[in-house]
Amino acid sequence: MSPLTELAELSRQFEAEAAEVADPAAWEELRIRWLGRKQGIVRARLAAFKEVPPEERRDYGQAVNRLKEQVESGLADLESRLTTAAVPVVEAVDVTLPGRRPMIGSIHPVSRVAADVVEIFDGLGYSVAEGPEIETDYYNFEALNFPPDHPARDTQDTFFLRDERLLRTHTSPVQIRTMKERRPPIRILCLGKTFRHDNDLRHSPMFHQVEGLAVAEGITFGHLKGTLYAFLKRLFGPETEVRLRPSFFPFTEPSAEVDVTCTFCHGDGCQTCSQTGWMEILGAGMVDPRVLEGCGIDPDRYSGFAFGMGLDRVAMNRYGIPNIRVLFDNDERLLRQVKR
Amino acid sequence: MEFSRNWLARYVELPDEVDELAAKLTAAGLAVEGLERRDGDVLMEVDVTTNRPDCMNHLGLAREVAVLFDRPLRPPAAELEESDEATADIVEIELSTPDCPEYVARVVRGIRVGPSPEWLRQQLEAIGQRSINNVVDITNFVLWETGQPIHAFDLDTLAGPKIEVRHARAGESLTTLDGERRELSTGVLVIADAERVVALAGIMGGSETEVSEATRDVLIESAHFDRTAVRLGARQLGMHTDASHRFERGGDPAACRTAADRVAELLAELAGGTVTGGALENPHPEYFGTFEGTVDLERLNAFAGVDYPRQRVEYYYRGLGFDPQPTGETGLRLTVPSWRYYDFWQRRESGEVWEADLFEEAMRMFGYDMIPAALPAIGPPDAGSSFAHRKRERIREALASCGYSEAINFAFGRRDADGLFPGLDPVGEPVEIANPLSEHYEVMRRSLLPNLLESARFNLRRGASTVRLFEIGNLFPGGEADEIEAVAVIAGGSSPTAWDRQEPVDLFEVKGVLESLFERFDGRLEVRPAEPSGFVVGSGCELLAEGAVVGYLGQIEEPESPFAVFAAELNAAALAEAEHPEPVRAPSRFPAISADITLTHAVDVPWSDLQKAIGEAGVEHLASFGLRARYAGEGVPAGAVNTTIYFLYNAADRSLTQEEVNESQALLTRELERRYGWQG
Ligand SMILES: [Zn+2]
Repeated sequence: MSPLTELAELSRQFEAEAAEVADPAAWEELRIRWLGRKQGIVRARLAAFKEVPPEERRDYGQAVNRLKEQVESGLADLESRLTTAAVPVVEAVDVTLPGRRPMIGSIHPVSRVAADVVEIFDGLGYSVAEGPEIETDYYNFEALNFPPDHPARDTQDTFFLRDERLLRTHTSPVQIRTMKERRPPIRILCLGKTFRHDNDLRHSPMFHQVEGLAVAEGITFGHLKGTLYAFLKRLFGPETEVRLRPSFFPFTEPSAEVDVTCTFCHGDGCQTCSQTGWMEILGAGMVDPRVLEGCGIDPDRYSGFAFGMGLDRVAMNRYGIPNIRVLFDNDERLLRQVKR
Repeated sequence: MEFSRNWLARYVELPDEVDELAAKLTAAGLAVEGLERRDGDVLMEVDVTTNRPDCMNHLGLAREVAVLFDRPLRPPAAELEESDEATADIVEIELSTPDCPEYVARVVRGIRVGPSPEWLRQQLEAIGQRSINNVVDITNFVLWETGQPIHAFDLDTLAGPKIEVRHARAGESLTTLDGERRELSTGVLVIADAERVVALAGIMGGSETEVSEATRDVLIESAHFDRTAVRLGARQLGMHTDASHRFERGGDPAACRTAADRVAELLAELAGGTVTGGALENPHPEYFGTFEGTVDLERLNAFAGVDYPRQRVEYYYRGLGFDPQPTGETGLRLTVPSWRYYDFWQRRESGEVWEADLFEEAMRMFGYDMIPAALPAIGPPDAGSSFAHRKRERIREALASCGYSEAINFAFGRRDADGLFPGLDPVGEPVEIANPLSEHYEVMRRSLLPNLLESARFNLRRGASTVRLFEIGNLFPGGEADEIEAVAVIAGGSSPTAWDRQEPVDLFEVKGVLESLFERFDGRLEVRPAEPSGFVVGSGCELLAEGAVVGYLGQIEEPESPFAVFAAELNAAALAEAEHPEPVRAPSRFPAISADITLTHAVDVPWSDLQKAIGEAGVEHLASFGLRARYAGEGVPAGAVNTTIYFLYNAADRSLTQEEVNESQALLTRELERRYGWQG
C-alpha cells in the first residue's frame, strides 16, 4: 500500500472510530490513540515523512497535515457535543454564596417624612422657607400673640440663652419672617428643628416641626380644611379620615386640632389612641388678623391659614418606633432598615 | 381637667348617652379625652385650653352643654338669711394695691366644724378631691362649681380684725397651709391682717389663720387678683395651686359676689352658721370695662366658606352670653360676657373686639364638620425658592449612596465637648443655655463631631463592626454670629457584606466620599496638611474649596474603638451648586490610547505636586490621568516610592497614532524625572 493510500485509509478509519465515541473516557482514548505524543497515529505518520520517496514528499506532507486537521477538528467537535450533554468541566461554584454588595446607607426617618411632606406641598405650589434656630422673643412669641407673662407660654417650655434670646419652640417664627419680607400671595412650608424644655419617654428636648402658611385674598376656613384633607390623605393613605375640632392657639383664630384615624387600629380603638380611634396629628387655624397686621399685611384684604405638625411623631408612627428618644440614638442597626 | 357627669347634671339636663355628650363637647372645642364610669357616675377628662378659664368648673361647662343641646341652664341661686349684725361692723377691708380690683368678704358666725354630709363628700371624691371638713369642702365645692377660688379665715385669729391686700414688705414671711415656711420677696401680692401677712393672695392661705376644729366664726374671701401679679408671685415662690392656676388664666369678675353668697349659704345649711348682714364689696368696674364687637353675617360666611342660618347664629351667641343685638342689614352687635373677659382681654382694640374671635364662637358651636372642604385657587406656585432644602436633600442622597446613614443629634452638648474639635469659624465663647436640662445640654454646638462621635460610640458599644454615619445640622459659632450649616461624616471598620474583601475604612475612603460629594455639586475638593485639634497627629488636613478653608478631615483619637475612626466636617455653603446643571461635553467617537508611567521619587513629594507638574507640561489630547499604584519596598530605594500614573489620550476629531502618544509620554517622563525623579 502506498503511503498516500494508507493516509486515505486512516482518514476513513478515524471517522469510523469517532462515530463510536459516546463518553469522555472513550473520547480521551481516541485522542491518545490518534494525537498522543509518543504512540499517536498522526505523529507516527508525520515521523514517517522521511521514509517517503522524495518525489512523493510534497503530496504526502499535504495529506498528513489534512489528516492532522481532520483529527483535531473531529476531536474538538466531539468534545463540544459531549460537554453540551451537561457535563461540568469548569471548577464548581457555590452560587448560593452571598453577593458582594456595596454598602447602602440610609436617610433618617425624620428626614424621610419631611421630604414626603415637601413633595406633597410642592405639588400644591408651596416652597420651603427657612430661619434660624436661635430666635428672639419677638419672633417666637410676641409677633405670634403670646404676650409676656401669659400662661399660653407655659405650653411652650422654653430654653433661654444668657442674652435674652431663646431656642425657637416652634417653626412659626419663619412664618413671621416670611410675611414681613414678602407680599401675598404666599404659600410656604417651614420645617426644621425646634426645642422645648422637656425630657421624658414621650418628649425630647429637640424635635422637628413642619408648618405651612397660605396668605392670599379670599382664603377661607374651608380652604384650610381642603388643604389638610389633601395633605393628610396623601401622607397617611386615601382611606384615612380627617377630623377638625376647635382648639386654641394664640396666633390663629379660629384654631383647630386635627385628628386622623389611628394608623394602628384604623379607627377601632386601641391603646395607642386611648380607645378613641383618632390620633391628634396637627394644629391649624386661620391666621389671626393681628398677626397679619403686625407683619404689614392688610387683614381687611387678605386672609390666611396656617398649620403645624410634629415630624417625629409621624416618623415614629410610620416606622413603628415606640419611643421618641430612639430616633436620636442613631443606632445604625435601626437606621439602615429605613428604606423609604 | 376632670368633671363629674352627676355634678354637671345639677345645672343642666344631660343627654342619656354620655358618648353623645362627649362627642358634642369635643366638636365644640372642649375635647373629651377620657371617660371613666364608676360608682354610678362618669368621670370625664376634658382638655380645657388656656383661653377658656370659664370652663374650668362645672357650671361653666354646663353652660356650653345647655347651648349645644338646646336646654335651659339652671345656675344655683343662693338664698341667704342674714342676721341683724352688720358685717361692716365686724371687719375692715383695705385694698392698698390696684392688683386687687375686687374683694368680697362675708362673715358666718357660730359654725360647727365637722365632717361633710355624704353627698358633698361623694361629689368631691368623684373628681379626686379629698374631703377634709365641712368648711374646707364647701370652699372647694364652690371652686369646682363656679371656678371662683375661695379662702376661709378663722375670724378670731385675724388681728384687727382687718384685711389688707398689699405687696409683701422686706423681711416678711409666712407659714403656708402646707406647713412650709416661706420668705417673701417684696412685691409678692399678699393678704395681711392688722399685724402680719396671713395669706398669699390667689395662691395659698397661712396656717395660723386656717380654719380648725375650734373655729366658730369664719371670714370668707372671694376676690379677684391681677393674674400677672399672681403668676409672678407663684413663680417666685415655686408654687402652683388650683387657685393660682385659675387666677393666672383669669377669672370672672362678676363671680366674686355670687360665689361668696353661695359659700355663706352652704355654711349656714351644712355647718349651722349664721350669716351676718351684707357682704363687704369693693367693686372697681373701671378696671374691667365692657368689650363689644360686631359680627357681620356675610363676612362670617365668607370667612368660614359656608352659609350659616342667621337664626341659629343668633341663638348660639345668645346662649353663650354675648347678648346679640341686630345692627344694620346683616350685623349683630355683641357684648362679651364677664366670664369670657380674659379670653377677649388681649383680643381687642380700644374696647372693640376683633371679628375673627367672635366668628370662632359661632363656628365652633356649629362644628367644623359642616364646613365644606375646598382647595384655594391661588394661581401660580409660590415665588420663593426651596433651594437650601433641595441642596440638603442632595447631600443626603449623595452620602447615603456612599453607604453612610444619616444621624440626627441634639443641637446642644456638654461644655467640655465644645473645644474637642475645631468647629467652623467659632467666635469667642459658645452660646450658653440659661436653663439647661442637665450638664449634657449646656451649650449650643460649634461642631457636629462631638455628638456624632457619641453616636459612633453608641454603635461601638453594641458591637458594631463598622460605623458609617453622617449628619447635616446648624452650628452656632458664638455671640450673635449667624448659624452655619455643616455636614459631618464619621467612619471606621469594614463592611460585613464584602465577605472576601474585608478592608477597613481608611483616610482615603473618607476623602473619596467627600470628593464625590463635591463632584456632585460641580465643585472640587482640595486638601492641605494641618493639625486640627482632636485628630491623630499626622493624619489631619484642612479641606479647601476655591482656595478657602471649608472644613477638616483626619483620624480621630478614639480609644474605645477596635478600629481606626475617621471623621470630617465641612461648611455646607462650600457645596455651591449652579441653578442649572452644567452642559455635558460630547465624548470622542475615536478610540482612546492609554499608557502608564512609573516614577521613582522621594516619599515626601506630594501627589498634588505631581498632578500640578502634569498639568503644567501641557501635553495635547490628554483626556484624563490618575494614580494607578503606589509601591515601596523590595527594588525601591529606601526613602523613595514608585508611583504609577495612568494616562488616557483621546482626540475629539480623529484617531491618535501610537507615535503621538509615545512622544507625549516621553515628554511627560522627562518632565517628571527632571523635577521629581529619585536622585539617590
Ligand atoms: Zn388606635
